[in-house]
Amino acid sequence: MPYSKRYKVAFFSMTSCEGCQLLVLSCENELPDILTHVNIVYFREAMSEKSTDYDIAFIEGSATTAKEVRKLRKIRKQAKIVITLGACSSTGGLNRLKNRFKIDDLKESVYGKEALGSQAFDTKRVRAVDEIIEVDHHLHGCPISKEEFLKSFNDLLLGLKPHAPNYPVCTDCKIAGNVCVFKKGETCLGPVTRAGCSAVCVTYGSICWGCRGFVDAPNIAAHTETLQRHGMKKEEALSFLSLYSTGLTGKKEKKIVR
Amino acid sequence: MNETSPIPPRFLTKRELKSLLGALIREYRAYGPVDSDGVPAFSALTSSAELRFDLSPTHLSAREFLLPSKETLLKFDLTESGPGVVITPVVEAQPQVIIGLKPCDINGMALMDSVMAAGVRDVNYLKRRAATIIVGVECLPDETCFCASLGTERAESGFDLFVHLLPTRGVLVRIGTEAGAKILKKYAWGRKAVKAEIVKLEEHYELKLGAFKARLNALPEELPGVLAASDESPVWQSIGSICTGCGACNHVCPTCYCFDVSDELSSDLKSAERLRVWDGCTLDDFTLVAGGHNFRKSRAERLRHRFNRKFNYGSERFDSLFCVGCGRCSRTCLVDINITEVTNAIIKEVKESRG
Repeated sequence: MPYSKRYKVAFFSMTSCEGCQLLVLSCENELPDILTHVNIVYFREAMSEKSTDYDIAFIEGSATTAKEVRKLRKIRKQAKIVITLGACSSTGGLNRLKNRFKIDDLKESVYGKEALGSQAFDTKRVRAVDEIIEVDHHLHGCPISKEEFLKSFNDLLLGLKPHAPNYPVCTDCKIAGNVCVFKKGETCLGPVTRAGCSAVCVTYGSICWGCRGFVDAPNIAAHTETLQRHGMKKEEALSFLSLYSTGLTGKKEKKIVR
Repeated sequence: MNETSPIPPRFLTKRELKSLLGALIREYRAYGPVDSDGVPAFSALTSSAELRFDLSPTHLSAREFLLPSKETLLKFDLTESGPGVVITPVVEAQPQVIIGLKPCDINGMALMDSVMAAGVRDVNYLKRRAATIIVGVECLPDETCFCASLGTERAESGFDLFVHLLPTRGVLVRIGTEAGAKILKKYAWGRKAVKAEIVKLEEHYELKLGAFKARLNALPEELPGVLAASDESPVWQSIGSICTGCGACNHVCPTCYCFDVSDELSSDLKSAERLRVWDGCTLDDFTLVAGGHNFRKSRAERLRHRFNRKFNYGSERFDSLFCVGCGRCSRTCLVDINITEVTNAIIKEVKESRG
């Protein structure tokens, strides 16, 4: 077989719903095969054993505490390959909504006035993983695409660099044969959102919410105008556009929220 | 497929047409235009009552049925001991009938046929094409259709049967192939059309030609030269700046045939499939090659390429333009890049610069 060693794989959780790890566990048909090629040595959601010796780290969730930031640095030191698992880790995901408010206002509304002066409530602005450490590959989406996860896994076994599509969801939508949601009087973020999800939301009757983040060169100005032409105010359009992320990896936040 | 039939048009009553279509839907995998959430779309048919012949061109073209958006070309068995892997070609071609293709789409399919047969023959496409029966239907243009500017408003061949809905009762059916004649004889032979009915066809074409709102301001034969002279036009920058690179114009086009090929390995690493998926020249990474070099860097360059692909580049190799005037790209574009407006702007510029 075209791989030379048995990789040791670890799965880590930062601030997230852990749904992407659940999705990994739902690969019931493929996991037995995967486990003949790699050793999973750490996966809190799935096993009791622990290990600090691993080659590939999958990280779900965004960094919102000082502890998580330290944990991420530690992971980067150990892992040869770091891969983000889902929107929260890849772009900041929905967690990033937090960054629209003042931290103290949030603390107070969630935990009460007492939380304000206390060190016990360690909460910071939300950051994507690659705002803290270097990331080798991003698996986008809320949740991730099962097919893309399995394909990336195969790529790693073969020593290939995993690849995320760099075209908008509209292409996936046309491949799926969907009628454009704009033609049905709705709006979506498909034209600026990275594909790779098989346009699953539109296929099942919803719209594209942009969970996979933007393509490398999203035409935000043009799509803002499109949304305005379809009945949104400019502020609504910008708010919609920055729902899941503000850029490929989260780093482009300042550029887009004008 | 393309032989002209000596059999003159047949007249069918509405009831006979219904029984013909009903029989085709029963006997074959049948696709035709329906109203899907208020949008015209091709759909698998279960009854002739679903069919709508009065709508604008469908949002996607019928190329899906001959060049699927995703298909397996090869299967690899990697478990075989010995010098190599076992490779099995996959060709899926079930008999099918496409009902309600308009002249633009029939002409577009003829272009696809010539592309797929040129050079290394595309077996998957050609076998599927040979197993496909085409029942065309005459139409009237909407505000975006511009086939009359390209001479594709009539279909003279490329169909098995072609239905003209007469203004009063019944329909005329032109027979394009022997297969078409056989089907008609089997299910609804009707009677020979009389002269007064055939005259109605020409009256319809006159009505149709007068009904176009979108037009190109140049003759089809002028277009390759116009596009060839347009390289430096500011029009490309202006549409490139609003393009999102979403690829919708490519994917809805009846004559776009570009695809990407990739090998997908199973999780047990024991088998693999070679897949082909639609690709498009307006996507940012279409021209991305090894080393990270992208030889069409901007959306302006990509759109210029696409317009040349439709109105210029095909003319030498296939002696034809590659746009059939269906207007799908204009209808689908969310930033309103309109193919007739853009081409007319280019025509104006080039004509003015020539004086």
